[in-house]
Amino acid sequence: MKLRLYVANSAPNSVRAIANLAAICKEHLQFSFKLEIVDVLKFPLRALADGILVTPHLAKLSPQPAAKIVGNLSDRSSVLHALGIKP
Amino acid sequence: MSVARALRLVTGGPERRAIEAGEVDAVIDRANGGVLLLPEAKRALSSVGGETANGLLAALPRQDYQRLLAELELVALAYGEVIYEPGERIRHVYFPNDAIVSLLTVVEDKALEVGLVGREGMVGISLALGAELTQVRAVVQATGGALRMKAASFHEALERCVPLQRELRRYACTKLIEARQTAACNCFHGVKERLARWLLMTHDRVRADRLHLTHDFLADMLGVRRAGVTNAASALQRRRLIEYHRGDIRILNRKGLEAAACPCYRVVKALAG
Repeated sequence: MKLRLYVANSAPNSVRAIANLAAICKEHLQFSFKLEIVDVLKFPLRALADGILVTPHLAKLSPQPAAKIVGNLSDRSSVLHALGIKP
Repeated sequence: MSVARALRLVTGGPERRAIEAGEVDAVIDRANGGVLLLPEAKRALSSVGGETANGLLAALPRQDYQRLLAELELVALAYGEVIYEPGERIRHVYFPNDAIVSLLTVVEDKALEVGLVGREGMVGISLALGAELTQVRAVVQATGGALRMKAASFHEALERCVPLQRELRRYACTKLIEARQTAACNCFHGVKERLARWLLMTHDRVRADRLHLTHDFLADMLGVRRAGVTNAASALQRRRLIEYHRGDIRILNRKGLEAAACPCYRVVKALAG
């Protein structure tokens, strides 16, 4: 699975999103994922080009269907559902 | 940027819901091509390298804190993550910013919570008291950030920094008070009163009224069966003190919850400051 997480440096919700996503990947995806973290404070044009409205924002790029999840990813069941992972 | 302005920029959809739930740090201003930070994120980021959210570190003279910063790294701690197991060598100490860590004593495969560490404290205090091995299991109870320091660096810092010694002595004393009171509380008070106390202690350490805590987790924390947690949570919910739904707890009436808690909450709070 290919994922991209847009964050705002080490702001509280961004840190939470990274921790929540790391726990989900460790438990459900083991090593079968690629994660790119984009700091929108360093790369604002990238966020603009990718159509991001807010951070944290997790984009599932592959496999299809693509999905997006907005927020700090604390609702694990919603995140798993959006990523197409059976709990 | 205010939350109201963020809501004007994002008119609908999941983005708006996330802003309303307090789960957003920044909004991309498409009209002006900029990134606008929400107030809490702005506060947190402007304090990096300056002030800290952790109370123990914030109490140090600025010069001492700046020296410690070189040895501290920001880490993200996830709900349910185990950072210490009993008998393990302490490799790092943790100063939580917005993460909360539960300390549990494990007896014959059963665990009981004996302490809670949030922004007011430090995980690994026994290292400051000369114990290299941890006696507790430390489990992350609320996802968030913490500043972490290697054990060797911590020893060096403790040796040279008198204000750090003073703060940690004071903190160790509060943990001792808390542990004594918790031992008596677990023995003499009912599950409902203890649950109320425990929710208040957690609430004191987070900035939100919403807590994510499953039945299983609460049962482990209180050393009771799931059914005991269900009954206690239902009783508090019937009195409209909390709202509980699938692991999400909302504190509706803080004053009412204080009245429902056992006196141990007030005793520890008063003595620990």
